[in-house]
Amino acid sequence: MILPRQTLHSTAYDLADALDVNELYQQKGWTDGLPIVPPTEERIIECLQAVGLAATDIVGVEHIRQRPITAEKVAINAVMAGCLPVYMPVVVAILRAMCQEPFNMHGTAASTGGSAPFIVVNGPVRAAIGMNATHNVLGSGNRANATIGRAIRLVLINVLGCIPGQLDRSTLGHPGKYTFCIAEDEEDSPWTPLAQERGVPAGMSGITVMAGAAPRQLLNEWTHDPEEIVETFAAEMRHNMLTYSVWSGNYALIIPKQLRELLVAAGWHKHDIREYIYRSARVLRRDWATVGKANIVHRRGGPDQEFTALRAPDDLLVVAAGGPAGGFGMVIPPWFGAKSEAMTQAIDVRTP
Amino acid sequence: MSIRVFDPTAEDAPATQPGAARLTSLEGRTIGLLDNSKFRVRELLDHVEAILRAHFGVAQVLRFRKPDASRPAPPKILADMQRCEAIIAAVGD
Repeated sequence: MILPRQTLHSTAYDLADALDVNELYQQKGWTDGLPIVPPTEERIIECLQAVGLAATDIVGVEHIRQRPITAEKVAINAVMAGCLPVYMPVVVAILRAMCQEPFNMHGTAASTGGSAPFIVVNGPVRAAIGMNATHNVLGSGNRANATIGRAIRLVLINVLGCIPGQLDRSTLGHPGKYTFCIAEDEEDSPWTPLAQERGVPAGMSGITVMAGAAPRQLLNEWTHDPEEIVETFAAEMRHNMLTYSVWSGNYALIIPKQLRELLVAAGWHKHDIREYIYRSARVLRRDWATVGKANIVHRRGGPDQEFTALRAPDDLLVVAAGGPAGGFGMVIPPWFGAKSEAMTQAIDVRTP
Repeated sequence: MSIRVFDPTAEDAPATQPGAARLTSLEGRTIGLLDNSKFRVRELLDHVEAILRAHFGVAQVLRFRKPDASRPAPPKILADMQRCEAIIAAVGD
């Protein structure tokens, strides 16, 4: 590959070897705690080339603190995370989405609530870069899933200063702050892919990102009834509303193959799931008395005040993903209701 | 043999909006206190206001309150704060 002549603007360090690089970057607090791949000029420029950006191009601006994110810094952090250059269009699309004002990136990153960007990738890029949409989809084992999410975390740490105890004031955080990135299993699902539902043209790749709290796993292997299956998801959401945060906004549901096939056999599409959840995932203020929060039952609207998990059915992101066996599902609640909106972004057409 | 690597941080990337000039003294100034609407911020800012009046000779303290801790102050509040020569933003968690 012929690389364009690009000049890097970042400070350079000459070190003996990759182990010394790791020690320096750890000492300086430039990692998430795990070792990094040394960001050499050749790898950085390959990453810029792969996404067709110049080093000085601005990928986005974090609008609250007005911090620009340059392509050079994105490429450096992506190399450090272990990304291959072909992942770069995905990384850039995610950051562009997170810089949209309704995502409220600063709030999501600084809050005591401790969310992480939950990323869903759709379209041909998934296969082109070998993403995992099946077994252990939220876990370890796939380079693209692991390093794309990690690249976003390293940009947050290094470029935007989201350092725990400094700008990142999370009380607990959660493991998704290492990486929280999956592909949708489009090949094994008749449902419309998430990005297409949210405006990306069919056949084009796209990402969706939401500020997600820790995922909550559920299990229902004791029915074939679609309403009963989806009711288990709704119940998990009601628990989240009572024990964590009642505020309505984007929730994500991950539905693996076993439950998905029962829903498909019953003629249910994502739309039907959203409509059911919108009706069912509701709590009354009085319900707080059952979870140790009786002190707030008589505030504001009183015991009969109703709260919905979703502002409208379209708040629900339904994702087909996960391994083939087991009646499991996952609910990913929002960081803090609608204070951050899920964003969907098409991936640049230069994507492989 | 050595390996050359690059700094991943923002380094001195300029903010796209410059910060306001710093005051050298608070004497005779109008100071704004921005409440982020968290639970204990009012007590915190009451204390700050008392210190500013007692020890720093400020002429006037104006109080502002964001409707929401997790999002920026809305344009009307930002416009109102133009009356101040400096703002102290507080988090009372």
